[in-house]
This record gives sequence, structure tokens and C-alpha cells, in this order.
Amino acid sequence: MRIEIIHEIASSLRNNKLRTALTGFAVSWGIFLLIALLGAGNGLMNSFMGNMQEFISQSITVEGWRTSMPYQGYKEGRDIQLDQADLLYTKGPRWQGTIENVSLATDFTGTTLSLNGYSVAGSIRGVMPDYQEQEKIRMSSGRFLNRDDIREKRKSIVVSSAQAKELLPKNPEKLVGKWVNVGNIAYRVVGIYSTDESNMTRLCAIPYSTYKGIYSPNDKIEAISFTVKGPETLEEHRAFEKEYTGGLKARHHIAPDDNRGLWVDNGYTNNLEMHKAARMIRTALWILGILTLVSGIVGVSNIMLITVKERTHEFGIRKAIGAKPGAILKLIIAESISITAVFGYIGMFMGMVACQIMDKTVAQDAINIGGQEIRMLVNPNVGLDVALEATLLLIIAGTLAGAIPAWKAARVKPIEALRAD
Amino acid sequence: MALIELKDLNKTYNNGQPLHVLKGINLSIERGEFVSIMGASGSGKSTLLNILGILDNYDTGTYTLDGTLIKDLTERQSADYRNRMIGFVFQSFNLINFKTAVENVELPLYYQGVPRRRRHELAMEYLEKLGLTQWASHFPNEMSGGQKQRVAIARALITHPQIILADEPTGALDSKTSVEVMQLLKQLNKEEGITIIVVTHESGVANETDKIIHIKDGIIGQIEENAHHDAWGGPLMK
Repeated sequence: MRIEIIHEIASSLRNNKLRTALTGFAVSWGIFLLIALLGAGNGLMNSFMGNMQEFISQSITVEGWRTSMPYQGYKEGRDIQLDQADLLYTKGPRWQGTIENVSLATDFTGTTLSLNGYSVAGSIRGVMPDYQEQEKIRMSSGRFLNRDDIREKRKSIVVSSAQAKELLPKNPEKLVGKWVNVGNIAYRVVGIYSTDESNMTRLCAIPYSTYKGIYSPNDKIEAISFTVKGPETLEEHRAFEKEYTGGLKARHHIAPDDNRGLWVDNGYTNNLEMHKAARMIRTALWILGILTLVSGIVGVSNIMLITVKERTHEFGIRKAIGAKPGAILKLIIAESISITAVFGYIGMFMGMVACQIMDKTVAQDAINIGGQEIRMLVNPNVGLDVALEATLLLIIAGTLAGAIPAWKAARVKPIEALRAD
Repeated sequence: MALIELKDLNKTYNNGQPLHVLKGINLSIERGEFVSIMGASGSGKSTLLNILGILDNYDTGTYTLDGTLIKDLTERQSADYRNRMIGFVFQSFNLINFKTAVENVELPLYYQGVPRRRRHELAMEYLEKLGLTQWASHFPNEMSGGQKQRVAIARALITHPQIILADEPTGALDSKTSVEVMQLLKQLNKEEGITIIVVTHESGVANETDKIIHIKDGIIGQIEENAHHDAWGGPLMK
């Protein structure tokens, strides 16, 4: 039965080569664009996510900011300063099991690093050793700050590779172990972090204890960073953030709905929101691709209508010798699915070839933005899942395209069909 | 009971002006008969044939085929009855052009769901019976009119139908081939006992059958017994 249908479809298509080719082209083009769009979209997304991943850390950083609402007798526009009590709150039993790897950071901006007459602008941040893990800092040479640096309040410093290049142009790696002047205090460089794809080129890290002793002798803390365990979804992370900052806001008499009292950089929600945005872009690309495909489907439907009209007499013969309406219906829909599937796969193959070409050409070009190498497309390809989804789409499309013509063919009375030429 | 029983059959076409085509047809045809229905164009003979072939429906009266009342059938049912009970032979052969002779003959069995190999065997058997073995893999446009009509007859026979309905079976053939085709139908009737109804407007063709039913203006006129036509042995008139 199956072989018979394939045979009939083949001969029907053979008899109408040009028509088949034109219809097939419409479908191929639709699928080609769908696949190429999704491939390019994936490449763009991979690039976007790859670049963003450098900035977005899996941690939350909280800093004091300036209130924008009066609350509990305090006026608006009040500067908020975090202190040791906030640190204790964060490390407290309330967040046991949820908040981990608490570390501190303090900033001292607008200083100069100098060595042998070379100098470069820098911004000093006092940090804990966990900072490296949280901010995903990659070392190009030397090491990051360690526990001993903190305990002994050493004058150790980690500088960026961009700064190292300025200070020791001939051989930047040799800067490790050298003493550089930061303002009027000498620090020993223990490591250089890589700034290839990061924009934080001015930041230098020194032990938090050292920083506290030199630049901030009181209880003040600039920033508290920590990682979070437990919340998974965007909603859960938002709920956690609200609950955690709620406690801080109460301590500092900040109105609960005042978003400017504290500056919160939540890496988790940023990341999840970015993925959400990526999903939306993907959906938009699918919609665009499917709309293109629709024109192909209309083409197939049109051709099938003409085919049915031309073959009315043949259907009359078939009905006279015992073909049931269902058999005719099946024949037309099978033919429609065959056209869409065969040409759809050609289009899909071409689309994948186009993705490969993009990968070999556009994806290899990197543009330099603000000292960062950015590749517009990274691995622009569609996966097996998309190919399977597109296959399903083709079968549905073929069925839809054949449905109306098939219904017309199945409905025509045999006596009328036999009279037709 | 007769194989075919028509009782007070009426059919009106409603295309703008109502056209009463069949005005109370009463007719019975026995199993094994070789009958012709004769009439001028517009007499209603084609409509009658379409109703007998379950290709068209009728308004009032009854049509019983082999004890089954053929009335108000769904498309599925009529397709099934046509497939199992009726074999058609048309004036213009009505073979499917992109199928070979053997594929054309197989087609009714395809719609019965007979497996591919079995229906191919059967189709070859019937083609052999009609002397067309070497033409099995040829397409209709590679064959002569007589060969095409023989393929059509093979297709009509393959399901062992109760009746064969032949609508002007010689209408598109030359006189020599016409004789051959009528001889073949006659032979099938005599040797296999198949009931055959031929619709024609040619008296020469009608003369080859055992019984001639004259139809005029939608009413059955004279029914002529023609049992001794073989004895005359005269050539077929065209």
C-alpha cells in the first residue's frame, strides 16, 4: 500500500517537473531562511552570552547608596554606609545554608600606579580571597590574594594585564614580584589578572585587611559579596533578594520600597534575565522563519489545488472502480507531505551549509570594542533538536497545504469527476 | 429473485429548470443475461446506466442489486459496492495514463486491500486471458484502442463482479475492433456466465446481445428478445 502511494506520487511529480520545481523552491527557501536565521541567531546569542559571562558573576554584591524616600523621620537623599553589623547580619544564623562565601570589598578610586617613571591610573579595591571565585577573575601570571595576605595585612596587589603592560611595556609578566608605588605607598605585585574580555581594566585588588588599615580605619564596609544556595528560578532569586535586603533596609531605616537606598548587583537574576531575553530572541526568530515558510506552504497548497483540478477525471475513474473518499484524501495529503518534506530537507541542508559558511567566515572576524575582542557570531549552528522540530513543522505544513485540495478531491461526485476532462 | 430489480424508478435533474429524466422505470435483469439498453441521446439511457452503476442516485422508487437495496448510500458504501459488485467498461476506456496496463488492472484490488504480489499475479492472469501478456508493462498511450478496451475489460473482471456495465464500449473503436470486443463480451457471457449490460445507440451493437431494451423519453419501451442472433452470423453493422 505504501509503495503504491510513493509510486503514484513519483509519477505525478514526474509529469509536472517545472511546477514541482517551483513549488519545491518556495518550500526550500522557507526552510532555508528558517534554519539560517536560527543558526545566525544562535551564533549571535552564543557570542552575547559568552561576552556577558565574563561580567556576570554568580554572586550578589550589596553596597550602600543614597535614599530616595523619607522614612521613619529620616529625610530622603541620605547616604547609606554598610558596616560590620551588616556583615554580621549577612553571616548570621538567619541565612545559614543559603548565604555562603561572604566576602567584603572596599574601593578607593582615582589613584596612580607608578614604576620607574611609567605610570597608569588605578582604582584600589580591598577584597577577600573569595573575590576571585565570585568575580571569575582569571590570572595570566602570578596568583590571587590569599589568606596569608589578609592575616598579615600584607601590602600585596593584583593588577590588570592592561596596567602591567603600561608599567613594564617590554615584559609585563616580569612585573610579578616587583614593588610598585600606589599613591605614596609601595605594594608588591603578586599576580596579574587577564583583561582580554573584561572591561574592569583599572581595578587593582589588595587584601581587605590592608585596605581597612590604610584607607578606611573605621567599621565601614563598601560592599558585601556572597554566593547563594537554594533559590533556582528567577522568582525565587527575586524573593530571596527582597527578603535579604529587607533586613538591611530595616537596619538602615530605608523605606521598604525605596530601591535606591542599597545598590544590589544580583548576578543570579541578571543571568536568568539574560537567558529569558535569549529565549525571546529565539522565539522571535522562529516566528520570522515560520512566517517565511507560510508563503511556501501557500505555494504548495496552490499547486495541489491545480493538481486536483487537473486530475479530477482520474479521481473519477478511481472512485468508479472503488476508491473510497478517504483513499483519495490520503493520496493528496501524502503527495503534499512528500513535496514539502523532500524540498524542505533540501532547504534544511542548504541552511546548515549556510551556517557552516557563516562559521568559517563571519564568525572568525572579531571586532575590537574598548580593548575587548568581540566575535559577532560564535558557533552559528542549529542543533539536532531544531532539525527535528523543523521536520515536524514540515509534516504539519504539508498536511495543512494538502488539506483543502484533498478535501475538494475527496468530495467531488464520481459521476461529475468522470465527465471532467 | 432477479439480479437487478428496478421498481418505479424516477430521477429528476434540478439544474435551473427541473428535468425529469427517468419517469418510472420498471426493469428486471436475471443473472447471466446479456442485455443491451438502446436509445437515442437524451433518452435517459446514460442516467439509467449511472444509477445501475451506483455512480448516481435516484429520487423515488427502488433499485435492488443481488438482494441489496441500493438507496441513500454514503460515499464509502457506494464505493465499496461498486468495487465488489460492478465492473465498468467505458467508451473512452478510462485507463489511468501514467500507469501500465497491469497496474491499471490491479487498481480495483488495491482498493480492496489485496497484497501487492497477489494482485499482480491476478492481474497478469487476466491479461493473459485477454491475450495481453506482452503488453503488461506498456502504458495506455502505447496501445491501440482495442487493446486499451481489453485492458479495461480485464480491470472490470478482476474483482469477479455481479455485473459488467459497458457504456458504448465500441464507441471509440473501428468496426473490426468493435466486432472483436463484442465477441469477447459475448464469450465472457457464454463461458463464464457473467451478466453484461451494454448501453449503446447503435443497433448493430445491440443486435449482438440476447435482449434489447429500448428506452425513449425516460420510459422503457419495447423489450426485444434476440436469442437467435448467433444463428444469423451476420457481420456487425456500424
